[in-house]
Amino acid sequence: MAAHLSYGRVNLNVLREAVRRELREFLDKCAGSKAIVWDEYLTGPFGLIAQYSLLKEHEVEKMFTLKGNRLPAADVKNIIFFVRPRLELMDIIAENVLSEDRRGPTRDFHILFVPRRSLLCEQRLKDLGVLGSFIHREEYSLDLIPFDGDLLSMESEGAFKECYLEGDQTSLYHAAKGLMTLQALYGTIPQIFGKGECARQVANMMIRMKREFTGSQNSIFPVFDNLLLLDRNVDLLTPLATQLTYEGLIDEIYGIQNSYVKLPPEKFAPKKQGDGGKDLPTEAKKLQLNSAEELYAEIRDKNFNAVGSVLSKKAKIISAAFEVNNYIEDCIAQKHSLIKVLRLVCLQSVCNSGLKQKVLDYYKREILQTYGYEHILTLHNLEKAGLLKPQTGGRNNYPTIRKTLRLWMDDVNEQNPTDISYVYSGYAPLSVRLAQLLSRPGWRSIEEVLRILPGPHFEERQPLPTGLQKKRQPGENRVTLIFFLGGVTFAEIAALRFLSQLEDGGTEYVIATTKLMNGTSWIEALMEKPF
Amino acid sequence: MDCYTANWNPLGDSAFYRKYELYSMDWDLKEELRDCLVAAAPYGGPIALLRNPWRKEKAASVRPVLDIYSASGMPLASLLWKSGPVVSLGWSAEEELLCVQEDGAVLVYGLHGDFRRHFSMGNEVLQNRVLDARIFHTEFGSGVAILTGAHRFTLSANVGDLKLRRMPEVPGLQSAPSCWTVLCQDRVAHILLAVGPDLYLLDHAACSAVTPPGLAPGVSSFLQMAVSFTYRHLALFTDTGYIWMGTASLKEKLCEFNCNIRAPPKQMVCEEIFKIASMAPGALLLEAQKEYEKESQKADEYLREIQELGQLTQAVQQCIEAAGHEHQPDMQKSLLRAASFGKCFLDRFPPDSFVHMCQDLRVLNAVRDYHIGIPLTYSQYKQLTIQVLLDRLVLRRLYPLAIQICEYLRLPEVQGVSRILAHWACYKVQQKDVSDEDVARAINQKLGDTPGVSYSDIAARAYGCGRTELAIKLLEYEPRSGEQVPLLLKMKRSKLALSKAIESGDTDLVFTVLLHLKNELNRGDFFMTLRNQPMALSLYRQFCKHQELETLKDLYNQDDNHQELGSFHIRASYAAEERIEGRVAALQTAADAFYKAKNEFAAKATEDQMRLLRLQRRLEDELGGQFLDLSLHDTVTTLILGGHNKRAEQLARDFRIPDKRLWWLKLTALADLEDWEELEKFSKSKKSPIGYLPFVEICMKQHNKYEAKKYASRVGPEQKVKALLLVGDVAQAADVAIEHRNEAELSLVLSHCTGATDGATADKIQRARAQAQKK
Repeated sequence: MAAHLSYGRVNLNVLREAVRRELREFLDKCAGSKAIVWDEYLTGPFGLIAQYSLLKEHEVEKMFTLKGNRLPAADVKNIIFFVRPRLELMDIIAENVLSEDRRGPTRDFHILFVPRRSLLCEQRLKDLGVLGSFIHREEYSLDLIPFDGDLLSMESEGAFKECYLEGDQTSLYHAAKGLMTLQALYGTIPQIFGKGECARQVANMMIRMKREFTGSQNSIFPVFDNLLLLDRNVDLLTPLATQLTYEGLIDEIYGIQNSYVKLPPEKFAPKKQGDGGKDLPTEAKKLQLNSAEELYAEIRDKNFNAVGSVLSKKAKIISAAFEVNNYIEDCIAQKHSLIKVLRLVCLQSVCNSGLKQKVLDYYKREILQTYGYEHILTLHNLEKAGLLKPQTGGRNNYPTIRKTLRLWMDDVNEQNPTDISYVYSGYAPLSVRLAQLLSRPGWRSIEEVLRILPGPHFEERQPLPTGLQKKRQPGENRVTLIFFLGGVTFAEIAALRFLSQLEDGGTEYVIATTKLMNGTSWIEALMEKPF
Repeated sequence: MDCYTANWNPLGDSAFYRKYELYSMDWDLKEELRDCLVAAAPYGGPIALLRNPWRKEKAASVRPVLDIYSASGMPLASLLWKSGPVVSLGWSAEEELLCVQEDGAVLVYGLHGDFRRHFSMGNEVLQNRVLDARIFHTEFGSGVAILTGAHRFTLSANVGDLKLRRMPEVPGLQSAPSCWTVLCQDRVAHILLAVGPDLYLLDHAACSAVTPPGLAPGVSSFLQMAVSFTYRHLALFTDTGYIWMGTASLKEKLCEFNCNIRAPPKQMVCEEIFKIASMAPGALLLEAQKEYEKESQKADEYLREIQELGQLTQAVQQCIEAAGHEHQPDMQKSLLRAASFGKCFLDRFPPDSFVHMCQDLRVLNAVRDYHIGIPLTYSQYKQLTIQVLLDRLVLRRLYPLAIQICEYLRLPEVQGVSRILAHWACYKVQQKDVSDEDVARAINQKLGDTPGVSYSDIAARAYGCGRTELAIKLLEYEPRSGEQVPLLLKMKRSKLALSKAIESGDTDLVFTVLLHLKNELNRGDFFMTLRNQPMALSLYRQFCKHQELETLKDLYNQDDNHQELGSFHIRASYAAEERIEGRVAALQTAADAFYKAKNEFAAKATEDQMRLLRLQRRLEDELGGQFLDLSLHDTVTTLILGGHNKRAEQLARDFRIPDKRLWWLKLTALADLEDWEELEKFSKSKKSPIGYLPFVEICMKQHNKYEAKKYASRVGPEQKVKALLLVGDVAQAADVAIEHRNEAELSLVLSHCTGATDGATADKIQRARAQAQKK
């Protein structure tokens, strides 16, 4: 069923089975026929856990999307709301329930909060006078969803914005909870490393939560040797660059959602010209992308040479700083997509530790005049996130970072790579380089750079009972769980997979993140559209 | 064998009973028991005595005394009764003493004589006084039934969840019934009462007369009645000295008995008689084992006898069971020894029943001990369950014994030792003579991080005793913030609750405290609290953003956060305002805020926006069409597309659109219009700041090669080759490339040479290359 999850060093099917079991148990609590009312955002992630067949086995007969007014008619005993704990959704649920009550036969209502029950939401339901209508109010701790044999994501779109712009740590709390669930299944992770403010907070929460569970001693032999927590804002540059791996490019061009890509129908038009028009598919074709498909597993992380040559040329244009201004200016003048322009401007700003005030103001003015004054809010968000900033008096640290971490590699072999920089045809993602250097020779060698990068770096140990301490066999690789707080790109994942496969690498990686993203979806999440 | 059955007496034809003294009571009673109100709790529970119950003829100076003893007569409490006259005493299932006063008030005491609470049985009872009262037990808990002076019944089936029910009137009842009792059938409490020769059953709706089947004639009055503990059986005693026994449903007679005593008994008890199964195989086994101990051959004989009958398994089981029902350890031992002896001759006798019985008996013997005084039978113990027994030990503050039992039975810590320790701690916090510090320390020393101990429960108890400071100290040991926070809120330590919630990282918890604080504090104090807690402040801002926009504005104002205020008003200009004047006003407020934030850029941009908005309004009025909320760039484009070139020019000048962008804009717009004439005029208006290659590109995009060629000739040398290739003039492109002697250009042209038509050109390039290499 989900064989691709058990290929890796760590069998993530265990996690999938655990969350499926939890779901079944909940469904069985509500005896009789059921209709599920979905918070639409959840349907994608749920698809990776349970297909309709599982729900059907447990007497789910109807499914609706959560929206205001009345629920569609359904002859079922139970109505279950699957929702994220958000106040605005509670208002809609209350509306549904109240209009239902006036309509004859009573049904049993239940709420399943994903991933956590919320006192705030329950108070809201109480204020709206419907809290008592729910028989079961439970939580479904679906924090980390297995996407592939070595990949977990929380698929929390707003995580970056909430953490870095709004000071809302909710997703960090969920991340810590998710890590506790993982540890319950795969054993306590003996060492935690981290870089960044959010990483520090997640580690603190984990340590605290562990204290809360004293007594239930975890007796599972640890599968992970290390946990590395990384803040996205330690490396703002990488997601801005265009990913040049096969999977990365598919994501850049078509967008991958919950491991599915929707391809435009014309790509599947018959090749022969004569019989065209008759059987032209009209709907977008949906394809699942994961390592279950052998060919895809093989090529997904390779550099996409054919297309690469076009794009890398562009990349080179950008790299020459003095040409960048003109290029961006032309893009604006020709009214290229705003996201593309913002990505370029941010890229330039991050690479140079900020833009000259004059240049920055010029860009901003051009953007506002061309795309509309409402984008002043978006620009403000980008500034708050540190993606866009004026150069201050201090020196530009970027060259030091670039040199110490060897971020720009001149001789890249895209066919048979020898370094992670192949994923961006010459640029090594800083985030992955940090992981690489942590495993060998250790972060002590790069103390200076770590001090320049934002946020604290730290190390915590979680003591294990003697029986569970690992004796490594010679030649046995360590397993590191690397958690990107604020999102990760497919190119970074490819780079980590490349490191896992190195024969003398010594470390294999399992990747976790708040969201699988790319520069476009990232910037989009930071944009604000007031109308 | 007779020694075992010597104390059994026959009861009727086929049953036997025995009576034995459990304890010689230790109490030192001065009064006769008949002068006291007495209540003994079931299941070996405590005994309450009210001495000198209030009587009219006695002087008021002699106060009644309430004594509580264990079942073995150990004094547990003694207190002077200072409340009103008591009619009846009884114990609830939770071992709480219920004292029913004449005025219908029920006072509840713990078994240590600690006053718990009181409740009233209602106004009707208060007015008519209590004539008689019964405490009874149902599956829901313990109830109270009252017979009032007006000969009406009022009852509550569960004093834990007090719901008073007034029973219907008994027709023609002028005096008190001769006897009555509470019956519980089909989960509903009824009252059975006797008036002269008639029996009535009262339920909440009606009163119906009933007749017991097979009742001997001649009864003129029922003097006493009793129901069994399970409400299954009923016994009636008549004025003819006759006892009727049957099912409580009054559908079946079980037996009758004439005892020839006419005087009404003081009390009558109806017990279900435990039927002892035929001991035959078990008894034989017991004998066999005894003979074995005497090293007698008879042992073998007995054993053989049992085995021949194939009853050895049964014999062993019987011995085990019988041991359970014995109170004397010696007897228990003999029976168990016999069972163990018999087991040796069985191949596969599962050991569980034997082991469990040994364990159970050790526990039972321990609690039956004189000092503990809980004389439970084995059946009672099984019914009660070990958990309830532990609760009862805890209630008697016998913590060490309870812990020993938990450890002996290897109960999981959470159900066992931890729970007892937690109870101990809850008791500890009630010791008011010990300082908060000492209590907290003592508790933490004993409990440490014992799994399953909830410090918050203990703290809640401390708070219940009015020791808030102690509660806070105890909460410090509670690792789960989810537990700390609600109690802190309850204790009105909201600010402490806030910092605990923040520490936990659980934002939902923080929100909960925030909303609590918001209702509790005045606005100023609330904002002040937020100010000191940045994490809470940002969360609250998020909340306001979606729920209370006005509050969000106030928050920014308080912090002098002019930048955010500016953004706030920008948003408001879109969301809240429909009219253009309103929008401009909102933008003006935003611009002012940006100035205050020293963000000159944003302020100027906002002023530009206001200007544009007004202008777009005017354009809509004058030209019609849609202009509002277009970007400046799109406004100019729309004007050009509409043929309003002058106005477009003016707008571009007013907003100082850079030349380059304006050229791109015009170029794109005119090409879209396919206004080639205007485009050419435009291209000649002055030297193009973007060069002429874009002209070529855009014409080709519109498939107009003719126009494209016009511009190709004007493209500067650097891009000339590219332009010529675009318009398909490969030959001329080759010439230029050769002239430039540019290798990259040469290969570019070469890559465009296709088929025979460009053959000559290709040769020309190759020759030029060869020549260049020679030099």
